[in-house]
Amino acid sequence: MPTQNLVETHNLTKQYGKIRCVNAVNIQVPPSAIYGFLGPNGAGKSTTLKMILGLAKPTAGDITLFNMPVNEKNRMKLLAQTGSLIESPSYYGHLTGEENLRIIQTLKGCSEKDIDKVLKIVRLDEARGKLVNHYSLGMKQRLGLAAALLGFPKLLILDEPTNGLDPAGIQEMRELICSLPGAYGMTVLVSSHLLSEIDQMADHVGIIRKGTLVYQDTLESLHAHSQEQIALRVSHTAIALDLLRQDGIEATQEEGYLLLPMMDDTYVANLCRQLIEQNISLYRIEKREKSLEDIFLSLTGKETSL
Amino acid sequence: MITLRTEFKKIKRKKIGLTMCALIGVQFAWLLWSGSRPNESERLQGWIEMLHSLPLISVIMMPTIMSVLASRLADVEHKGNTYKLLHTLRRPGALYHAKVACGTLFILAISIAQFLFIIALGYARGYAGHPDWNYYAAAFALNLACCLSLYLLQLLLSMLFFNQMIPLVAGLGGSMLGLILMYIKMYSFLPWGGFLSAAQAAMDWNPETRIVRFYYREFSPVELCAVAMIFVWIVGFYTAGRILFARKEA
Repeated sequence: MPTQNLVETHNLTKQYGKIRCVNAVNIQVPPSAIYGFLGPNGAGKSTTLKMILGLAKPTAGDITLFNMPVNEKNRMKLLAQTGSLIESPSYYGHLTGEENLRIIQTLKGCSEKDIDKVLKIVRLDEARGKLVNHYSLGMKQRLGLAAALLGFPKLLILDEPTNGLDPAGIQEMRELICSLPGAYGMTVLVSSHLLSEIDQMADHVGIIRKGTLVYQDTLESLHAHSQEQIALRVSHTAIALDLLRQDGIEATQEEGYLLLPMMDDTYVANLCRQLIEQNISLYRIEKREKSLEDIFLSLTGKETSL
Repeated sequence: MITLRTEFKKIKRKKIGLTMCALIGVQFAWLLWSGSRPNESERLQGWIEMLHSLPLISVIMMPTIMSVLASRLADVEHKGNTYKLLHTLRRPGALYHAKVACGTLFILAISIAQFLFIIALGYARGYAGHPDWNYYAAAFALNLACCLSLYLLQLLLSMLFFNQMIPLVAGLGGSMLGLILMYIKMYSFLPWGGFLSAAQAAMDWNPETRIVRFYYREFSPVELCAVAMIFVWIVGFYTAGRILFARKEA
């Protein structure tokens, strides 16, 4: 049965020797979405994106683009509707920005007028005649994005597009990506290892950890996971924990604190009174909210870098 | 054609043509230097001698020239990290064919220049009669084929290795090997020895009279097999390059 998602992978797997880099990943990118593909370094984001673009051959699983299963015969036809920027930008340093885009435009078979348009979009129109070797890293990254935008494809696949950019460049790139679905009806699949970046750009999110997709839903749903809790610091944690459990409260112990689910003020007041009556000193009461970062860490593992 | 056209756009400012001209210029200088003042007897055999000298120069210089050409064409992709972009725009096979076609056009230009030069030089030196066009055409075609086989080998190496020193060293090694093989007569079935296998003229030197005589070769069946090997190398290197390039993951 045909699906409505623009990109779908089914049990997509990639194994290099004995190492399984991507393990049965099922991505679903809805149309006109900005899908943030999030994961720590080495989680398998780039490999997954490369497989979608046909740059790496999957060990197992299959890919559907624009509701069509990708195979060797239709791969180029389907990729003609996509633009990509994988890892670092690709460019010919001895050519000017415009000459670089002309090569891509010729190969893509799109209109020459697109060159002017994309140069304006990425704000490189004034540097179009400059050799790319003389571009800054941010300019090269923007040139890579311009090349991906040529032909105004339906789907844009961007792998860590803000890598190596300064804060202003990151902000600029982020704003640009955010504007693409609205301005040109594009669907964007963007990967990053920075949660904050995805949080500010994406409306859908997929989180990959050690090659396995551990979470996939809207960003809104991910935010809904951020539960509020009450943290208590007391003199006798173990006794207090028993007491709470006797009252039917599901409390946990973490770093010297007792973590309780959110409850109303009257209940908290009663609880405090009960603890004092049991000669347990109450040092601190805090309201805690599990941040998006905490959720990300709990999904990807704390040992991995962000 | 579109992919081939972009190949030429990519090498703008890379001065590949100039580099080729400089390297071919060395060959021309060599030819100018050798036999610069021919006597009457040398003038009589001049056209045949040219077809004897050219393969000797080619066997020494062409492996290096081909390695430079292939390396320059492949290096633009390595330096710009462009395979991962190009493979989303064109099939790897099409990109490989464009590189082969682009290099072949350069080789064709080099070969035409070589032959125009030796013909012009022959007339300028006043060689007797005219070139024997049949032998010259055969020499041109086989020289072109030998260059193509070496170019395909070098392109294969240049596309496989990011570090272009490896294919360049292989090219220089090929030149050295060609020089050595020339003396030990073991060149026939190696790609670098193709120029010598396909030489249209040979030299006969009589130690007693010390008279040098050049003559057009008549190929024995074994020698014809050696010439056929040039085409086996072309097919082999082309197929290997195409398969490896298609399998290469960006």
